[in-house]
Amino acid sequence: MRKRKSSLMRMAEAATPTAVIFAVLLAWELFVRWRGIAPIYLPPPSTIVVYLFRMIGNGSIEYNLGVTLLRIFAGFAIAALTGVTLGVLMGMSRLIARIVDPWIAALYPLPKIALIPLLVIWLGTGEVYKIVISAVTAFFPIVISTYAGIRQTDRGLIKAAEDLGASRRQIQLKVVIPAAIPSIFAGLHLGMGVTVILIVAAEMIGSSSQSGMGFLLIQSGQVMETEKVFASLVVLAIVGALIIKLQQWIDRKVAPWTAFRDGQ
Amino acid sequence: MDVSVENVTQAWPGRGDEPIVALENFSHRFASRRFSCLLGPSGCGKSTLVQVIGGLEVATEGNVRIIEPTRPDVVRPLGADSVMVWQTLNLFPWRNVIDNVAFGLEMQGVSKAQRYERARLLITSVGLAGFEQHLPGQLSGGMRQRVALARALIMERPIMLMDEPFGALDAQTKIVMQEELLRVFDQTQKTIIFVTHAIEEAILLADEIIVMTARPGRIKEVLQVDLPRPRSLEMVNSKAFGALFDRAFHLIREEVMKSMAQQAMALEGSR
Repeated sequence: MRKRKSSLMRMAEAATPTAVIFAVLLAWELFVRWRGIAPIYLPPPSTIVVYLFRMIGNGSIEYNLGVTLLRIFAGFAIAALTGVTLGVLMGMSRLIARIVDPWIAALYPLPKIALIPLLVIWLGTGEVYKIVISAVTAFFPIVISTYAGIRQTDRGLIKAAEDLGASRRQIQLKVVIPAAIPSIFAGLHLGMGVTVILIVAAEMIGSSSQSGMGFLLIQSGQVMETEKVFASLVVLAIVGALIIKLQQWIDRKVAPWTAFRDGQ
Repeated sequence: MDVSVENVTQAWPGRGDEPIVALENFSHRFASRRFSCLLGPSGCGKSTLVQVIGGLEVATEGNVRIIEPTRPDVVRPLGADSVMVWQTLNLFPWRNVIDNVAFGLEMQGVSKAQRYERARLLITSVGLAGFEQHLPGQLSGGMRQRVALARALIMERPIMLMDEPFGALDAQTKIVMQEELLRVFDQTQKTIIFVTHAIEEAILLADEIIVMTARPGRIKEVLQVDLPRPRSLEMVNSKAFGALFDRAFHLIREEVMKSMAQQAMALEGSR
């Protein structure tokens, strides 16, 4: 038997996830204080918040986050541009696909972090190295998703366009590429995820630039300022979630039809 | 425009050496301004045939010619005089209604103002005025079907090839769309070749019904439908309709049984 939920019930349901977050934080706070755990191992949430505001107050979060975001967007932009372009070219030309395929098959499974020593030798530990390592990593999911999207275009749509008098070139531009957009976006989401990971990791290794959230993390860790480590993690988590939301918002703006994929 | 199908055979490489013959030695002349239905069990090659006529598939053997009755010597390229309406509709999901309808004109390089003007007229004529900016995903099945019809009609081609266009619609919407199509046929006098496996639909719409055999698809019999036009759904209760239905049902029943046996065999074989 199912009754219609009252508005009170629905509000309670909507508030539950937030309530759970606060319950966990409260339990954490009480546990740390009750057991008297040293903040060097596990600081309580209240202290982390204090540190977070202190770091925002002295500008270290803003500066390091800004630098990290710039690097992320630079690496991502390069990967998106080259990945989508090559993926489309592979989808359009069987020859290009056959030439590129073995390279992707060989290089994609390679953990890109393993390239760090080599890149440091070639490029040093400056900006170029960080952007290159993240762009190389993000490039693969983007190119693979783009190529798959182009190849999986509904044959029916291509035939319909052909029947309505579209030339081969028109079919590619007006049917195949738009049809691949959901798949391209999926690749860009994956690419953005790994870009964030690789930039922060690269900032931790090779410290000549002395900046960025990764640097802030490793520096705070080395001097056992665990509160600062946690505060930096909180910032990274929030910024990561915001980037994903931003991407979803852009998806909906650019490709509103993907919301009704079941229908057509 | 007449459509002359001459000894068309369509076969695909099957498993092993045996090719799958979808259509075998099919010959028929579809006369200008007539409504013809291809009626047959699934797998009898009726969809294949309309795609061959539309120039979207190349027949293994045989020939299709589009003939203008007044100038029978002129060879016309396949596909240039016909337009398809698909069961799966194949609307472009990222294009709104008006851009779907105007697609063909856009490909021809017609200016935006001109193609929108013509698209608006057609959208209105199929009863979708006010939905120009909607995406296909926002419309009901029947409305999408109207968009597909308008997208085909805007091409102003004399031959319309319809591959089970109403197959996916619910019963009520189907009736409305059939009446809509009858109206379009009466007004435009196009040559229509319509694929279906529904007997009532074939009788209600067609001037002639080409009953096909199970795979390989051949002509079993051609039935003439002499019901007066304009047609309406009330004719379903007439004596003439009933007689035609019995005749078609008798013919198709055998073939459906054969087709089901074939499918069962194929399933056995694939195990």
